[in-house]
Amino acid sequence: MDVVLLLGVLVAIASVIVALLTVTLRDLVYSSSLLAVLGSLVAAFLALLGYYIVAAFIVIVYVGAAVMFIVLTVSMLGGGGVEARNNLRGVLAASVTLVAFTVALITLGIPPGTFPVNVDVRVVSDSLLSDYAVALVVLLVALAATVIEGISVARRG
Amino acid sequence: MSLQYVVLATSIALVAIGVYGLTSSNNLVRQLLSIEVLFNGVVLLVAAIASANPGMLTLLLVILVSVVSGEVIIVMALVISMYRASRTLSSDVLEERGV
Repeated sequence: MDVVLLLGVLVAIASVIVALLTVTLRDLVYSSSLLAVLGSLVAAFLALLGYYIVAAFIVIVYVGAAVMFIVLTVSMLGGGGVEARNNLRGVLAASVTLVAFTVALITLGIPPGTFPVNVDVRVVSDSLLSDYAVALVVLLVALAATVIEGISVARRG
Repeated sequence: MSLQYVVLATSIALVAIGVYGLTSSNNLVRQLLSIEVLFNGVVLLVAAIASANPGMLTLLLVILVSVVSGEVIIVMALVISMYRASRTLSSDVLEERGV
């Protein structure tokens, strides 16, 4: 078996186990910490596929900032009372989703891809700063507004 | 078996696990964590399917991750606000108030 494929299988198994623990563990601090592990595993997957920039971006921005923010907030808040669970409803919804996605992929067909892909960093950065410059500025303004809005909402409560 | 199929199978599993967590719990933080698991599944799904133009997909995923990071900030701020108001993280309280 190819080394990359073997690594992919190992990361896949670890991802599924970590995701299951994230949604089932009683302690929310452990759950949110495991979400950081899951983000890192997804970044590893993306690196195996050849999307190195996205993998680095996920580790730095998503895991390093967003998920750490969740971990710190949950640590501050605690459990938030008793958590009521309806496992039957969850299993039913997950089963329907699983079947729907599988049927959709089989029906629509999976476009064949060659991995790892070859992403030219120079082309991506040129494209971001020329063709998508307006989108980049809008995104930056929206994120700045989001931070201000978040602080405002949290202080108002 | 190829890497693409392994990624696809994992992404579908992550989406299903996210939906399970979202529908089975009434805790707002747990629901947010489940949405994040779902988001990770969708990122993998998109990366495995749309490989025809990797440069464009890289831009799309970078923007997607940025937007989701902003969404996390807003949702956690709302959760803090709600916890200060009602001392609970249960979404049932929101239903009782008709939100």
